[in-house]
Amino acid sequence: MQAGPEASWSGNSPRRFVVVGVDSPDMSLVALDGLTKRYPGDVVALDGLTLTIEPGIVGLVGANGAGKSTLVKILLGLLEASAGSARVFDLDVTTQRQAIRQLVGYMPEHDCLPPDISGSDFVNHMARMSGLPRAAARERTAEVLRHVGLFEERYRPMGTYSTGMKQRVKLAQALVHDPRLLLLDEPTNGLDPAGRDEMLDLVERTGTGFGISIIMASHLLGEIERVAQYLVAIDSGHLLRAAHLDTFTQRTGTLIVEVDERGAELGARLGADGLTTRADDTQVLVELQGDQTYDQVLREVAALGLALVRLEPRRSSLEDLFRDPAPAAEPDEAVPA
Amino acid sequence: MSTYPSGGPAGEVRGGSIYDLGYRGYEGRRLGRRGALTALVAHSLRTAYGLGRSARSKVVPVGITVLAVLPSTLALGVLMLVNAVGAPGEAFEAISPIRYATLFPMIASLVFLFCAAQAPELFGRDQQTGVLPLYFSRAIGPLDYALARVLGLYLSLAVLVAAPYLLLLIGRVLVAADLFVGLQEELPSLLPAAAMGLLVVLTVGSISAAVASLTPRRAYSTAAIIGVFLITNVGATMLVSFDTGVFGQVAALLSPSDVLDGANSYLFDIRPTNVIVANAGNERFTYVLTTAVWIGGALAVLLYRYRTLRV
Repeated sequence: MQAGPEASWSGNSPRRFVVVGVDSPDMSLVALDGLTKRYPGDVVALDGLTLTIEPGIVGLVGANGAGKSTLVKILLGLLEASAGSARVFDLDVTTQRQAIRQLVGYMPEHDCLPPDISGSDFVNHMARMSGLPRAAARERTAEVLRHVGLFEERYRPMGTYSTGMKQRVKLAQALVHDPRLLLLDEPTNGLDPAGRDEMLDLVERTGTGFGISIIMASHLLGEIERVAQYLVAIDSGHLLRAAHLDTFTQRTGTLIVEVDERGAELGARLGADGLTTRADDTQVLVELQGDQTYDQVLREVAALGLALVRLEPRRSSLEDLFRDPAPAAEPDEAVPA
Repeated sequence: MSTYPSGGPAGEVRGGSIYDLGYRGYEGRRLGRRGALTALVAHSLRTAYGLGRSARSKVVPVGITVLAVLPSTLALGVLMLVNAVGAPGEAFEAISPIRYATLFPMIASLVFLFCAAQAPELFGRDQQTGVLPLYFSRAIGPLDYALARVLGLYLSLAVLVAAPYLLLLIGRVLVAADLFVGLQEELPSLLPAAAMGLLVVLTVGSISAAVASLTPRRAYSTAAIIGVFLITNVGATMLVSFDTGVFGQVAALLSPSDVLDGANSYLFDIRPTNVIVANAGNERFTYVLTTAVWIGGALAVLLYRYRTLRV
């Protein structure tokens, strides 16, 4: 990467932030190099993390204590790394903190809302703390509160809010200064299933089409799978996996054939036809070699006189990602889905 | 590592309700760190007086300010009465108990109370509610935050301390037979009054800020601030009245309220009414110097606290 990139936020600059000296399409969102964080008492939260993340909606997944929050805090400059380096928009997190903070919004996991202040006053104050002028702060506050779906409630003290409303205010304050990157730490924490759905919708809507990238930390694979385009899995401070979700949730080239009985027999016959199969009594997995594979399966099922319950290409789920032999550790235990 | 397009075309909105006009960006001016600092100072000043908060949170700060201007109001009332009977002479001035020089000892406990009530609002609350990471991930860092907060406290104290002095000044000028002569007579008192006000604001403000930042929980914080001013005063009183010599001398300097009394008697060049200052045996100028030590020490503690605070 060329030297001396500079984020420019002058009044009449175009909406997307301008990076001087760097060809922006190639620019990474986050670049970590041997990032290590040790806490006193020899607790290693991050252990030599090396990774490049491209712009988009990124899921950061790992069990509680895997190092997600530590990583987020280092990216924000709230914590100093013990070793290695981290760059956000190609700006160094230790030396160019100020520039990064203009570009980043942070929604923490923990409770952070003073109970006796109204949501509107709070978000407005946080906009001022990001350096927005008075009138602009007011305008942006109204705008983001509407975006997150907080209407009349905004004038009530936040102590009276439901968990869902609180999470919305937390998201609103992270968005109020129009950042280019949102760091969300467990945004669905404490929400009921409906609230969870709404929050994930909101995250997805925010991260799609407004030039805002999102890094969302979660210990729930299902949530990441739903909104993220890219996945980073860490466990005990190590990088477990980093890849596009497409790679994992698209067709795998395997057919699932479910029959009422004698699955093993069907598997054997398909195997004799030259297809690779794996079978138990009711389910046969068949390697898909083309459209003719469907016909072959149907023929054999008919020949055996079996009842066909299901025939469809298998989509691998995110869990497979952790079942696949990963370079690092025991992934299944690391990330409960 | 391969890439993929980030998001769809600009302005695309999916699955919104009819209220949702989509997210809009911000292209306007950004004032950066300086803008945020100024806003935080103003916010702190407002918070100290309960502005933008419930009516209940205005009761204490406004009530204390009203109490603080009572002596001056009283003095002006008496002055007007005396004026009505005849011109107040030197003799009246000498016996009048409420003068610039005697104002500070009268309002001192109100200043301490104000800090005990309001410094926790400025320094403890944010630690309790967990909002600090939101500040520190924005345009300002921990040290900026601490400085802006303490500046806000100084300003709110300046209002509290300046009000009685200014009321007395303006009142006396207006009551005087000739406005110009009146002004001329009052001006010499203006400098020591301003210096004294500044010392009070900086000393009491810095100490209260440091104590409040170390004790996030409100109840403890209030008690600790009162304690610092009260217990040191009690200690000094005991050591000085038992005539312990150098111990008494040091104890007087370790008690901020007595240090300020001593500075007051130096600045207005009056005989100290405070028994500790009168009997401890310190040079009166020492008290002025000691305020600087207290201010510096308290600010160092405050900044250290925020620099090492884990958020």
